[in-house]
Amino acid sequence: MSSWILKRFQKFDSQPALAGPWGVTTYAQLLALTRKAQADLQALNLSEPTVIAILGEHGPAVVAWLLALESAGHFAVPLAGNAQEFPAKLSQVSAQWLVTAEGAEWKIYPRIDSSSRHEIFQKLARQKEAGLVLFSSGTSGSPKAMVQNFTQLLKTYENRRANRLPILALLGCDHIGGINTLLSSLAAGALLVVPENRSVDSVIKAIRNHSVVVLPATPTFLNLLLLSGVVHLPSLRLITYGTEPMPESLLHRLHKAFPVVRFVQTFGTSETGILHTSSPDPDSPYLKIDDDNVVWKVVEGELWLKSKTQVEGYINATNEKFTSDGWFRTGDKVENGPDGTIRILGRIGELINVGGEKVMPTEIESIILGVSGVIDCRVYGEKNVIVGQAVVAEVVAQPDVDLDALKSSIRSACRAVLSAYKVPTRINFVSDISCERLKKRRG
Amino acid sequence: MITRKQSLDLVIQRLGSLALELGKPALLNADESTHLFGDAAHLDSIGLVTLIADLEQDIFNQFGKRVTLADEKAMSRLTSPFRRVGLLADYMVEVVNKV
Repeated sequence: MSSWILKRFQKFDSQPALAGPWGVTTYAQLLALTRKAQADLQALNLSEPTVIAILGEHGPAVVAWLLALESAGHFAVPLAGNAQEFPAKLSQVSAQWLVTAEGAEWKIYPRIDSSSRHEIFQKLARQKEAGLVLFSSGTSGSPKAMVQNFTQLLKTYENRRANRLPILALLGCDHIGGINTLLSSLAAGALLVVPENRSVDSVIKAIRNHSVVVLPATPTFLNLLLLSGVVHLPSLRLITYGTEPMPESLLHRLHKAFPVVRFVQTFGTSETGILHTSSPDPDSPYLKIDDDNVVWKVVEGELWLKSKTQVEGYINATNEKFTSDGWFRTGDKVENGPDGTIRILGRIGELINVGGEKVMPTEIESIILGVSGVIDCRVYGEKNVIVGQAVVAEVVAQPDVDLDALKSSIRSACRAVLSAYKVPTRINFVSDISCERLKKRRG
Repeated sequence: MITRKQSLDLVIQRLGSLALELGKPALLNADESTHLFGDAAHLDSIGLVTLIADLEQDIFNQFGKRVTLADEKAMSRLTSPFRRVGLLADYMVEVVNKV
């Protein structure tokens, strides 16, 4: 299955493959680690394709295990970021084994759960192909588990041309964008630079230490980079941006701050993978999808895609976003531009996009409603110049409650169980959640 | 009208109550020179957005004025008003007294 990529590792040999808080790993070392992970996997004596979760951020151990699981036809579930969300995700996919990965080290733990015989896994097992499970925000508020055909996905990187330009890993390996950066970088023999964390400071340090040339980022991150005032990053030549709309004013400020850097818009969804796109000119908010693996159309202002790297389906949700003839309804509002280009305007419906991270209002509402002193609430997104959209909660409080203290307990309750970007930044106290206001907002 | 001292007190007081919420005890003893965002900063982007939203509400509650502290104008300044406590206090005086 993945033998082509391991052969390539052999060829790239002493070139650096990954750099991060653990140090620098060469392609030869990465190959040895992958072989070791394959041996550890074999020692588990698994009689059938199995769901195995990998807990950890980008690093040699995570890469070794992703490739080992793919080569043996298993189902990999990379989990990174907020550990509070891990237990629910692990149960949803009925993971049988956990691999905790840090730097070049790992530990393996069995997990007691009913063996998952979901039909998507069965189908992949029959085809002798591996699976990759990623999560996205579901409409019900609980994360949706999507299964990709990992074998097919990996194959799409086989014809990448060699290039050794250091690239930064801003998105985690639990995100389709992060997986795309990782696989493109490994297939090309480039150096993937992993910052200690995703703060502006850490990223700037990583760019300077390893002379990073390519920075895949989100508009929000780039905005924060400008806000931090540090813009002297002479090694940078290419910045790609995606996952949320790019305000024209921000793009303009970026061009001024980084005059020698080329800016390229990317587009992708967890369901269809990252698409090859181009922009008519660097300042243009429009993009053109020119990807042999993808066809697209705009239906009533919504972008529809059909892609060869489309997900096999969801574990815990219906395939309602797919039409019966295989189109994926992205939920992205777009407008047609000149010469077959499109412009991404935002999301249709209620999903809130905080700096590229998607948030479902219902998930937050259910927590706020459980806070003592709250009668009713409504959560929505509000345009924000720093993070694109910010989470706002309208709350009806019980009479005689200290509102400042209630605000603080609402945020604490949210912070206890949710990722920080989901915690409401603004809490407005109102006398009732009127239908009028709702209509206005949704209209 | 808001004075420079009132503005500074408002920021420091708000940071004090956010310190516990955000788990940043250093912000309990914030002063003029405390870094907010950028190099050696105490707040991440969500923390900064939260502070700004709370301050906008405080300004309305205490001075009856509706202001927007984070907008394109603030973002495109050469020196960001969100870098240090003192700079934010200066900026609030400027914005509130213009309304």
